[in-house]
Amino acid sequence: MKKYIILSFITAFLVIGCRPSQKITRIDTDTTTDFSGRWNDTDARLVAEEMIADALSKPWLNRFNRSNQKPPVVIVGRVRNESMEHIDTEVFTKEMERAFVNSGEVSVVANSEEREQIRDERLDQQSNASYESTKKMARELGADFMLIGNINSIVDETVDNRTLAVFYTVNLEFVNVETNQKVWIGNKKIKKLVERRNYRGQP
Amino acid sequence: MLDHAQDDLRRSFEEGNYLESEALLKKYKQDDIYRSKDQVLYNLESGIIYHFSGKYDSSSVYLTEAENLIDQNYTKSISRGVASFLGNDNNLVYDGEPYEDIYLNSFKALNYIQLQDWDAALVETRRMVYKMEQLDIKIKGIAEAFAKSDSNKTTDWGSKKINIQNSALSHYLAAVLYAKSGDFDDARIESEKLSIALQEQELLSDSRSSSSIDHTKLISPNNYNVLLAGFTGRAPVKVESTARIFIDDDEDDSDDDFYVKFAFPSIQVQPSEVQFVRAVINDTLNIHLDLVEEMDKVAAEVYSAKEPIIYARALTRALAKATGTKWVSNVVKKEKKWLGELISLLGFIGQEVSEKADLRGWQTMPGQAWLQVIQLPEGEHTVRIEHLNHRGRVLYYDEYNIKVSPTTELELIESIYAN
Repeated sequence: MKKYIILSFITAFLVIGCRPSQKITRIDTDTTTDFSGRWNDTDARLVAEEMIADALSKPWLNRFNRSNQKPPVVIVGRVRNESMEHIDTEVFTKEMERAFVNSGEVSVVANSEEREQIRDERLDQQSNASYESTKKMARELGADFMLIGNINSIVDETVDNRTLAVFYTVNLEFVNVETNQKVWIGNKKIKKLVERRNYRGQP
Repeated sequence: MLDHAQDDLRRSFEEGNYLESEALLKKYKQDDIYRSKDQVLYNLESGIIYHFSGKYDSSSVYLTEAENLIDQNYTKSISRGVASFLGNDNNLVYDGEPYEDIYLNSFKALNYIQLQDWDAALVETRRMVYKMEQLDIKIKGIAEAFAKSDSNKTTDWGSKKINIQNSALSHYLAAVLYAKSGDFDDARIESEKLSIALQEQELLSDSRSSSSIDHTKLISPNNYNVLLAGFTGRAPVKVESTARIFIDDDEDDSDDDFYVKFAFPSIQVQPSEVQFVRAVINDTLNIHLDLVEEMDKVAAEVYSAKEPIIYARALTRALAKATGTKWVSNVVKKEKKWLGELISLLGFIGQEVSEKADLRGWQTMPGQAWLQVIQLPEGEHTVRIEHLNHRGRVLYYDEYNIKVSPTTELELIESIYAN
């Protein structure tokens, strides 16, 4: 009997002790996850969704279409990170590019970094590609509007550091490349409250 | 063991032997010298060593991890708190000194400048500024929190006012970065804050920095394309001070002395041999770097603000341990005198052995930051950064060959002599 009890304990120990140290669960990309209180994928998604909906519904688009009989061409310029966290602004600007292109209502051209690669390729083709397949120089589509903006944050903490409030504001604008006129300004605000525990159980 | 490891690490770093420092870190990791409670230290040391080894990405990873751990370690472990109360503060998770939390951002900023990412570097300077602004509030907050939880109201939990509210280093870097990014208003504001920070530093005792440094050129980005940075000296070290308070126990008629031993860390600035740092360009042009921040003195000033709290906590813990042991031995003596005497003796030994100050600290943090901006014409240049003593003798130098092209916006050249 004693042997069976000892064996049970050993088995239980092995079963419990041999559990994987981590568990991985695949979740929907739209699921909100907030672990650290810092800027995360949920914030980027919320910004992108609101900006896309706003940009495509405002009068500037119809006005341009009526005047020019073609969809506007947009280039993504610099979106400045003026916050206190490292935020990759490309996450939501790329999402906006995707939505614009797929909507068919706004055309998008490559930004300055992307253009360099394409221009290098085009230049290379002049010397190395067949005549029929060589792409012509000086045929780039000029942008009508540039998307620029900034993201800023304000942090407020209690004296004992237990509670932290972070306020993000994202501003994006379409600026007419020819006239410098701003035709659309989008703004998204996000506020988070982080509450820290004084003590935890594990070391 | 950690203390010895830290000493060896500091020695190899001071000798400029970064490969050996990296090897030591790997060995310490394998040997578990840096335990889970010391990970902030491990990451700080790794961050600096990799920075001066030229591995800026790796350096940022380690320094970011240190910063995250400092933030997470706000939430204290109950079990470690009990262990610290029964033993000493070395059982606590090391959550970094406030000045360590601030200066790690300066090296992250330098990492990003080396990687030519101005926006990311500016994020780090903003974090430095924010932390400095929060520092005074935080120190006062800690004092108030202790005062609230002290039901006996027998301890003065007041903190000293610190004279440093700004980091000159952060404002200098921010002014340069904003100017180079075309944000001239922000650059001007940072330049003004730099003036204030330099004036504050002059008030520190034995300060060598000067508010007469000409930093107005920082806001004219077309006037420079090279940022020279020299680091000298070392972070202040913590040394253990002990005190014994003898208490007359009226209940005990024996001749046994009843005393309380408490140990606390105090901070000591280690003067540097270096009095001047200069750059020699192409063996022809000498340019002096300005002493922008005396990181060691700022660190000591910041640390001194929480010293009353540290002393009071150490005394409270030691008193509680000693009086607790004494009470138990008195109770036991009534039944069995020999057992009570044994408990008293063991308590005495335990107190002597366990009461040990927490001397952990960032060993590879430099003591002084020297900076200068210059304009170099297009072409190849030799830049030698020399560290000189008070007689003008060159103690150490680093030499670099750099190539300046029309597209060079800001080339960062660094040198460190950690003595």
